[in-house]
Amino acid sequence: MIKFLGDSLNHQTLILGNGPCAVAAAESLLAAGENIIIATKDDTCNLNGSVDSASLQILRQMRCLSCKGSVGNFKIHGIQKNKPVAIDAGCIIIAEEDQRTPNFSLYGLNASSNVKTLSEMKTLLSSPSNEKNILSEIKKVIFLTGLVKESTPIIAKEVMLSSLLLQKDFGLQTYILTKNLKVAGDGLESLYRDTKNAGTIYTKFTDDVPDIHQGEEDNIRIDFYDEITSKNFRLTPDMTVVDETVVPSRYAADLVKIFNIEKDVGGFVQADNVHRYPVLTNRKGILVAGPSKSVMDVDTQRIDAGNAALAVKGLSAEKTNAKAEKAYVHEERCIRCLTCYRLCPYDAITLNTRVAVVPDACERCGICAAHCPMYAVRMADLEPEVISELMGTGGGIDRQQSFVPFIVAFCCRRSAAQARDLAVCMGYHLPQGLKMVEVPCSGGLSYDHIFKALENNADGVMVLTCHKGNCHSEQGNIYADQTVAQIRDMFSRIGFEKERLLIQTLASNMGTEFARIAGGFEETIATLGPSKLRKNCKKPITKARKDESAK
Amino acid sequence: MRGKHVLIVGGGVAGLSAAIELADLDIRVELNEKSNFLGGHAIGYACKAIDNTCVKCGACMVEEKLQRAVSHPNINISVGSQTQGISKNGRFSASVRRQALCIDPEKCTNCGLCSNRCPVNGAIIKSFSKNNHPFYAINIAKCLYFKDRSCSICCDECPEAAIDLDNSPSEYTIEADAVLIAAGFLPFNPRNKPYGYGRFKNVVTALELENMLKRTGRVKKPSDDLLPQNVAFIQCVGSRDAKLNHLWCSKVCCGSALRMARLIKDRQPETEVTFFYIDVQTFGKDFEQFYREAREDIRMIRAIPADIYETENKALKVNFVNHPLHQTREEIFDLVVLSVGITPGEDIGNLSRIFKLDTDQFGFLKSAGEDATVSSNGVFTAGAVRGPMSIAESIASAGSAAWKIVKYMGGRDLKFD
Repeated sequence: MIKFLGDSLNHQTLILGNGPCAVAAAESLLAAGENIIIATKDDTCNLNGSVDSASLQILRQMRCLSCKGSVGNFKIHGIQKNKPVAIDAGCIIIAEEDQRTPNFSLYGLNASSNVKTLSEMKTLLSSPSNEKNILSEIKKVIFLTGLVKESTPIIAKEVMLSSLLLQKDFGLQTYILTKNLKVAGDGLESLYRDTKNAGTIYTKFTDDVPDIHQGEEDNIRIDFYDEITSKNFRLTPDMTVVDETVVPSRYAADLVKIFNIEKDVGGFVQADNVHRYPVLTNRKGILVAGPSKSVMDVDTQRIDAGNAALAVKGLSAEKTNAKAEKAYVHEERCIRCLTCYRLCPYDAITLNTRVAVVPDACERCGICAAHCPMYAVRMADLEPEVISELMGTGGGIDRQQSFVPFIVAFCCRRSAAQARDLAVCMGYHLPQGLKMVEVPCSGGLSYDHIFKALENNADGVMVLTCHKGNCHSEQGNIYADQTVAQIRDMFSRIGFEKERLLIQTLASNMGTEFARIAGGFEETIATLGPSKLRKNCKKPITKARKDESAK
Repeated sequence: MRGKHVLIVGGGVAGLSAAIELADLDIRVELNEKSNFLGGHAIGYACKAIDNTCVKCGACMVEEKLQRAVSHPNINISVGSQTQGISKNGRFSASVRRQALCIDPEKCTNCGLCSNRCPVNGAIIKSFSKNNHPFYAINIAKCLYFKDRSCSICCDECPEAAIDLDNSPSEYTIEADAVLIAAGFLPFNPRNKPYGYGRFKNVVTALELENMLKRTGRVKKPSDDLLPQNVAFIQCVGSRDAKLNHLWCSKVCCGSALRMARLIKDRQPETEVTFFYIDVQTFGKDFEQFYREAREDIRMIRAIPADIYETENKALKVNFVNHPLHQTREEIFDLVVLSVGITPGEDIGNLSRIFKLDTDQFGFLKSAGEDATVSSNGVFTAGAVRGPMSIAESIASAGSAAWKIVKYMGGRDLKFD
């Protein structure tokens, strides 16, 4: 009988944030009949008040402190106006805002009355007319953007829009000094043309940067060599506008820890991993959308909101995979060393009175099973006997026959196994003695599997994993790499050829490369001859021996 | 959402992603692809990982979406199918024409004999993915049998008797509650640019380079199949071009070209790579580092070459203005790669007529299906049919469109049984 995850789900969705993305996701889900709790850091909530109150709860000034449980059953503790608050939710959408760091220091400038940030300029331009008087007293405005650090289309758009307004509405002369003008956004090339037509002067730098000097009374002097005209210029602007770097909010760093989710190099709340497109995290039921995950414009935030809402609906429609396929803990064997807890990329191990796997959160990578020192954590299809059955046993070798190396290739289900099938389709001739064993993740491979292959007369073993940064289980391929390195080291010590064990990375669409790797490995093994650990090899004929006897 | 049907026009990454999302909610999806294969342009993109590390180009995600879509019980796929017309009376009723399917997927084993024996280059085409079954298709435009019935070697030699060249086109009707247009884009054709594309063998498009890398894993000169000594990439061919009124940045070319440029340096370090550009666009989350490393082994020249001439030995003489020195320079390259832009699809006129959708000033279906009043007519858009988009953006666009469709079909009453 198929059990639906929806049955056991708490049907409440907690949305963290108060920006366009959080609001769009909340409105969307409410319209689709979901129960929503929206928690905002500040005292306001931008969600329209007319929405159905029965299915909506708003928590203002609420900050999360901890989160327990897993998909369908999260228990979040937080603090709201100095009082503790507890929330039960089936899923969580993190949709917090980003923040901006002014780039004054990158240009050697200090903030002053005539040195402003881009945000300050935007505020000034949208303020009441009397406050804009300052703009009628000046003539020249310079924008500095992307000169030291590469910028983004979001910032470029704001720079160009501000510049256009200053040129058109205030008759000012504006200059935009940049390296690479970022126009990879909707309508930005047209906007760029508009600013040029309105009189904005662009100076683009390739290798050099302008010499920026902030003198007495904060007068700014900018000297540079213009690549197009080959001339030196000096600009003395009345106002200088400095761009900003978009960074994750400080709260984002807290959320990463509280929810135990991955972040990217810049600290945004989502690993830089293609398997997480567009709104997934390593934890089932925790979604991330909008500017907490990367720099994005409002249109993209709405797209993200739709994806998050869809993911919530998808979760309640999801069929629970048969529990038997998930990892489980053999209670009598478990010594509570917490290796599984530490290594699980999906946070699917719970520690209550005993260690257990949460089937709904388990993604079946097998990393826990491979690394449990007590064989307490197991996964049915990774049991060495099952794997042994899959790989079969290499046939006997006798002197009369030419040597066909028996090669076992452990292939990641998502990458190398696909690449192998593609290689076959493309018409490549794969080694005759190649036997592929598909595994959910190479991180689920242990010593047992590799030794089992040797026990089954394998002359060579390949472990073919995803590329670094492309592992669905984030670190699975790294663990496989470590396991292989340790075994190869062991081989060297005991005088067994370490070349018989190979690890390589592949993507699902690399059929040609699969064929090349497999062919190359077969050659290596053919040269080495049959494995010494073969149980049925009477007298191994190595290529070297053959050559010898030929002499 | 049992009992609901959605017609998706276009089997590229956007169409496939949306199909999976809808099908996962128990919605029946009819996916129509006009070409012989699913996966769109992106299925021909190569993995550009360097130093065993993923560079997040997203090409493998297209493969994954394709695999999931073809094995999904709620998705019915028809390749070689095009919508001819549509009427709406509560539900949509679309008339679809399906071209002759000469290779029987039930019988074909992808042995490749047909392709090997075919005397005409390009008459039997190969897919890029094992998830396209059959892996081969007959290109009616080039096949001699369709021209004058003078050859039927493939049919005669197929060991499975899977080929029937007399198969005729079929027409049928699809009923649907909503329609998603995910018809993709047309890569800019650089034939009229002064770069000799189509005349000089060693001038290729970035798309062709992607395909070459995917099929062979190497970059070779088409003229002699040897590794090139030096390769030039020219960016913004057909993008950011006022003369063509292409006032848009195609968004994906800097990422594709720079990743390929680095891949070439990684696999063939002896090959010199030069990159001609206007502005390098930000792509990926670790762009700062990627770009810094790229500049270490790729020669970056901020200029767009004026023209290209072929030398006697099929090398290419590229003319460009060297800005710091203000000189016109001439350099020889073995291979020139044109980063062709994303332009509106060739059948966008038909689609906008059939489905009554407006195009934007450049010809994309950008604004269609955006707000509630427009989308209430039940036709939605996703992916690069809306404008230049990366693989990641197309997947997100598809998810967002799928969600709009779910809401349109009665999101409040979603029943999951």
